[in-house]
Amino acid sequence: MEYVSPEGLRLDGRRPMEIGVVGKADGSAVFEMGNTKVIAAVYGPREVQNRSQQMFSVRCEYTMANFSTGDRMRKPKGDRRSTEISLVIRQTMEACIMTHLMPRTQIDIFVQVLQADGGTRSACINAATVALSDAGIPMRDLVTSCSAGYLNSTPLLDLNYVEDSAGGADVTLGIMPKLDKITLLQMDAKLPFDIFENVMQLAIEGCKAVATYIREILLENTKQLEYRRGT
Amino acid sequence: MVGLSIGEKHFIQGGIAQDIRSDGRKRLTPRPINVKTGVISQANGSARVRMGATDVIASVKAELGRPTALQPDKGKVFINVDCSPTAAPMFEGRGGEELSAELSVALRHCLLGGKSGSGAGIEVSSLVVVEGKICWDLYIDGLVVSSDGNLLDALGAAIKAALSNTGIPRVNVAAGASGDEQPEVDVSDEEFLQFDTSKVPAIVTLTKVGKHYIVDATSEEESQMSSAVSISVNRQGHICGLTKRGGAGLDPSIILDMVSVAKTVSEQLINTLDSQIAAAEAGEDES
Repeated sequence: MEYVSPEGLRLDGRRPMEIGVVGKADGSAVFEMGNTKVIAAVYGPREVQNRSQQMFSVRCEYTMANFSTGDRMRKPKGDRRSTEISLVIRQTMEACIMTHLMPRTQIDIFVQVLQADGGTRSACINAATVALSDAGIPMRDLVTSCSAGYLNSTPLLDLNYVEDSAGGADVTLGIMPKLDKITLLQMDAKLPFDIFENVMQLAIEGCKAVATYIREILLENTKQLEYRRGT
Repeated sequence: MVGLSIGEKHFIQGGIAQDIRSDGRKRLTPRPINVKTGVISQANGSARVRMGATDVIASVKAELGRPTALQPDKGKVFINVDCSPTAAPMFEGRGGEELSAELSVALRHCLLGGKSGSGAGIEVSSLVVVEGKICWDLYIDGLVVSSDGNLLDALGAAIKAALSNTGIPRVNVAAGASGDEQPEVDVSDEEFLQFDTSKVPAIVTLTKVGKHYIVDATSEEESQMSSAVSISVNRQGHICGLTKRGGAGLDPSIILDMVSVAKTVSEQLINTLDSQIAAAEAGEDES
C-alpha cells in the first residue's frame, strides 16, 4: 500500500475550527485535523467540587462517541485507553496553565471525540488549548500537538488511522511553541536514533504550523467579538 | 447550573402566565431550529441539530445482522443516547448515565413500536435483505453536546434528520443459497438507497409550569416545571408515542388538551424540520 504521498511533507491545509460552540461552557472549541474531529469544553475556574478527591486544580476527561470509530464502540467511557489519554492531556495542560494565579479553584477540561481517524490525542490537546483561550484562562503559552511517524523510509507528519496501524513508529509531541519547551513526548515501536531526531524535528515543525494557525483564528475571533461589542 | 433566586423563579413563572417568556417567545413558540446533515463522515447518516443553546448530534450506522425469529421480515433498530461531559460538568464519569438512560427509553417509546414491532414510527420492513436470514441493523446513536433544555425534542429532530441523510448500501445476494446456509452477500460501496423518512414522527414536549404549558423549554424553565408530557406525532397527525415525566399529577382532561395542542404544534414543527432538512441536504450536496 502506498503510504507516502508524492508531496513528502503532507500537512493537510484544511484544519477548520469553531470557537464558542457549547453555550453553557466557559470556553469551548471544535477542532478538526483531516477526518479527526474533536470538541473540547472548559468549565472554570470554579469552586472545588469534591474536597475528598485529590487536590488537582486541573481535571480532564476524554471520551469517545459511540460512532467515532469505524466499528461502533460499546463502552465509550472508563476504559483504560481513555483514562490514560485523560491523564496525558491533563498533565500537558497543567504545565501551561498558570494555576498559581487561581488558588483553591478547579478547571475542568472535557474532550469529546466525534470522529477518530488517527491523532486523536493531538487533536484533543489542540482543541483544549483553543477552549482554554476562549475561556480566558491565563496560560504561559499555547500548547500544540502533532504526531509524526516513519513509513517507507520517509518521515511522515500527522498520521491517520491507516498509516498509524501500518506498523511503523508513531511519535506524539506536544510543545509550547513560543517558549520552545516540549510538554509531551510519546513514542510507539522502535526507531534508530538519528531517524528519531528527524521525526521529532518534523513533529516540532508541524506543531509550530498548527500554533500559527490557531493564533490566526483566535485573533480573528477576538476581532469579531470586539466588532460585536461595538467598540 | 447555578441555582435560581426566588425573584428569578417568580419572573419565569409570571412571564409564562402572561404569555411572555424570558426570551420574548410566546408559550407555544419554539426556538429556531438549525439542522446540518452529514457531519459524521464515517456514519451511514448523521445530523447535528441546534435549538438555541441545545446542541445534539445523531448518527446512524447500518450493519448486517440476523432478523429475530419473531419478525423474520423486519430489520432491527437500536437507539442509544449518551450525554457528553462537555454539556455539563455533572455528566462526567457516570453522572450522565441516568439522564442518558431516560432519554434512550423515551426515544424508543416514541419511535419504535411495541414489543411485537407493530406501530413503529420507523419503517423496519424496508430493512430486510433476505427474509429470515439477513437484515440491516440500524444503530442510532445520539450525543448531547450542549444542553439548554428540551433535549428530547432536539434528539427526535436529529434522529429524523439523520435518517433522511442515511444511505443503506445496496446488497446483491448470491443466488443458489438453500436451507439454513447463510447466503453470500455483496455489499455495494457505490450504490445507496435513501431511507424513507416520511413516516418518522417528530417529538413535541409540553412542559407545564404553573397553570400553563409551554413548548421548547429552556433549562431554566424546566427547573420550574411541575410535569412534562412528550408526544410524538407523525405527518398524518397520528400519535406514535407518549411519555409523561415529572412529579405532579395531571387531570386527565388536561392531558387530552395537551395532546391536541401538541398535534397543532407538531404540524408546524414537522414542516419546519422538513424544510430545514431539505436545505441542509441541498447545501451538503453543493459543497
